[in-house]
Formats: sequence, structure tokens, C-alpha cells
Amino acid sequence: MIGWWRRAGPVAVAAMVLAPAFGDPAVDGYPLSSYPMFSTDRPVRADLVTVVGVTGAGEAVRLSPELIAGADEPILAAATVAGAVRADQSDRLCAEVADRVRAAGPDVAEAVVRTEHVDVVAHVADGAGPLAVTVHARCPVTPPP
Amino acid sequence: MTGFRLRPQPGGTGAGHGFRLRSRPAGVVDEPYLRRLGLIRVLVAGYATAWTAVRAPHLLDHLDFDGRRFDPVGVLAPLSGPPAGIAVVAGVAATVAFGAAATLGWRYRVTGPALAVSFLAVTTYRSSWGQIFHTENLAALHLAVLAVAPADRHWALRRALLPRHPRRSEPERSAVRSGDDGRWAVRALAVATVAGYVVAGVAKLRNGGAAWLDGEVLVNQVAFDNARKDVLGDVMSPLAGFFVEHRWLARPAVLASMAVELGAPLALLGRRAAGVWSLAAWGFHLAILVLMAIVFPYHLLGLALVPLLPLEDWTSRLRPIGPVSAGRSPFGDPVG
Repeated sequence: MIGWWRRAGPVAVAAMVLAPAFGDPAVDGYPLSSYPMFSTDRPVRADLVTVVGVTGAGEAVRLSPELIAGADEPILAAATVAGAVRADQSDRLCAEVADRVRAAGPDVAEAVVRTEHVDVVAHVADGAGPLAVTVHARCPVTPPP
Repeated sequence: MTGFRLRPQPGGTGAGHGFRLRSRPAGVVDEPYLRRLGLIRVLVAGYATAWTAVRAPHLLDHLDFDGRRFDPVGVLAPLSGPPAGIAVVAGVAATVAFGAAATLGWRYRVTGPALAVSFLAVTTYRSSWGQIFHTENLAALHLAVLAVAPADRHWALRRALLPRHPRRSEPERSAVRSGDDGRWAVRALAVATVAGYVVAGVAKLRNGGAAWLDGEVLVNQVAFDNARKDVLGDVMSPLAGFFVEHRWLARPAVLASMAVELGAPLALLGRRAAGVWSLAAWGFHLAILVLMAIVFPYHLLGLALVPLLPLEDWTSRLRPIGPVSAGRSPFGDPVG
């Protein structure tokens, strides 16, 4: 039993971990993964979805991943907003974010779910702002008087 | 004596019923792979325990998520909706409890598999909300191998049995009977590490193609990831701007990453190769941290690499008796 186990163990592990490399590269899993992160060719001009706050003075401010998605992972926040936009549920997400912002207390009058069309290289290198913005939903944060 | 001892106990026996932390139980052939497995168990199970405890608030945050966001993967894929909150709380608590016990090697035949299953469930749950994370895959796989490995022969806390008339415990007798020196398990752990890097390298070539090799994909990846962090209110890497402005850095970075990922199997050739590759792989993750502010804790702490390294030699001064290990590679004869 142990002899068989000794021989098969490393081979079985290798086969399992390597298997996703022979499958559809777009399909990922856990814990056996095709490890697609960092591998796709991202466009320089990218559409980045997010939720921002708008102050009473009309200034857009960044919200944290916790306020956007209820958890501290930015990549989860990105997936959450993208999923809501894709499923045409931006209004619902906006209301959820507004509730979290209201509870957290920052000086924000409105939450806005939006896609920012960004030159990511210029943004990172020079802090360039979005080239264009598409608003999917907006909702009040400050409770009505 | 009853209580805990951090020093290994010569001969593996003691007086009185109690607990002892031993590096080499009585009656077990002194094999370097069993010692390495014991140390790997302490490190990997300890990591899983600490990770789950530290991330518990984040994991429990998921209980407030809209159930429509639930997109189960892996072992949770059959679920049609998120598990009940009480099950999540119990899973997190059980992972910490089993993890603490498995780290100590206590009742490892039970707590080792239980930790592997519960950690897999908890981390799968984390990845079942629309975003699959890639930071804990290897820890989950290592725990699965350790769960069925003789990883409790050393550095394990267990009840002393019949100390006045030293006898081997059942796991010890089993080890002697089976002659299982743990080498297969160390090999399997090392293969899991190496194969994961190969898959990641293959993915870059399959998804990015030739563009990946000329560095453009990497520059855009670094820029995209940091810009996305920024618009989501997270912190960008302070060096990302420098990197994308000095594009010539991308080509050597790509070649280095390809060498680490596709060259990973070279680490299985021997002790020196394993050491060199492990250092390179650690540097690879350090570069990801510096350029993309992405933390792979299991890898940065070196835990992904420990199956390849002669841990048993580094801790040999804690072992007052028995032969000194020859510093072996699990894949070949003693080297170095």
C-alpha cells in the first residue's frame, strides 16, 4: 500500500496541478487553477468600473473597497461592480453602497456607479484623469430631510 | 514531568503522563524527510491557522453580501446559494481550532485531514463571490498532501504513552511497520509548488502569446492593475509609475519571470538547484509586491518553497541525538 502510495503520490499531484494548463485558458478554478492572472493582454485604454462618492460641492471622491463591496479586497470590489453593471443591477449596488457610506459617515451626498475610460499608463505614470465617464446609476447618500 | 518542553527529548520517553514536544519520537528511524515533514506541517498548518484567524473578520463580512453575488467554485460548486451563516462561522472557527491542533501535531490523524478539508472549504467560500483568488491555492494543496502524509512523526505534541515502560505509540509503530520515510510526501509537496509555477508560465504564453515576451503585456498589466486599484480607492504601488515610464525594464522582467515559472522543474534536480530557484521565486513575488502591491503571503513567507529546502539541516542543532542529515534532495541522492 505504502509502496504504491509513494510512487503514485507525486505523479498524481503533478497531474492534478498541471491539468488546468491543458484546458480552456479562460476557465479558472480553485484550488486547481489555470493561474490566468497577469497573463492577458490588457488594453492601454481600459474601461474601469467603480463607485465614487460625490460631495455636496459636486466633487467626486474615491470610496474604499470596503464601502464599494463590503470587503477589503480591491479585486473583489472590481468584480462586484463589474458583475452588477453586467447584470443591469447598478441601481441595487448603488443603494447598497449608499447605505454603507451613510453608516460610515464620510461627507458624501451621492454615490455614483460608473465606468471610467482610462489610459492606464498615463494614469499610473502621470496621474491622468479619465478620458470619459459613463454613469450607470446614481443615488442619494444623505437621507432626505 | 508534566507540561511542555521545547527541547527535543533524547530517546523519546519521559516520566509521567503529559504532553511533550519532541523532534524525534522513540523507535522511529531517523529519516530526514520525516523531520522535514514535521517542520513543514508546523509551518503550513501554522500559516493556515493564522491566515484564517486574521482573515476571519473579512470572511464573516461575506455574510452580509447579497446572495445573488454568490458564484460558487470548486468544492462549493454544487451549491445553489450561499451556505448558512452559522455554517460559515462554524467553518472558520473549526479551521482555527483544527489548525492549532494540527500545527502542534496533536491527534494529527484526525486534525490534519480536518484542517485540510476546512481550510479548503473556507478559502473556496472566499473565492465564490465572483472573484477567484490565487493566493491560497498552494497552501490548500500542501495541506491536502500533509493530511495523508506521516507529518506527525517529528515536532509533534502527543500524549506520552506508558512512560515508565517506554513503548511506541500507534503512529510510531505504524511508521516502523510501513517503513514510510515520508520521502514521497516531500516529493509531492515539492511537485505541487513547482507545477503551479509551470501552469502560471504556460498561461502567460497561451493568453498573452508573443506580446507577453516583448514586455508590452507586462507594462500594461502593471498599469492596469494599479489604475484599477486607484479607481477603487486602494493604494497603488509607488514604483508602478517608474516602471511603466521605463519600459526597457519590462523585457528583462518578463524573461526573469518566464525563467522562474517555466524553469521551476529545475528545482527538483538537487539541493543547489532548489536553493537557487527558491531564491529566484521569492524575488519574483517580491517584485510583484513592489510593482503591483499584490501580496502572496504564502509565497513571500517562503512557505511555498519549504518542501524544496533542507529544513531538517537548519534545525539539526535542536536535535541532540541521531545522525546528522546528509542534506538530501527528495529527488536524488545526497547532494551538496
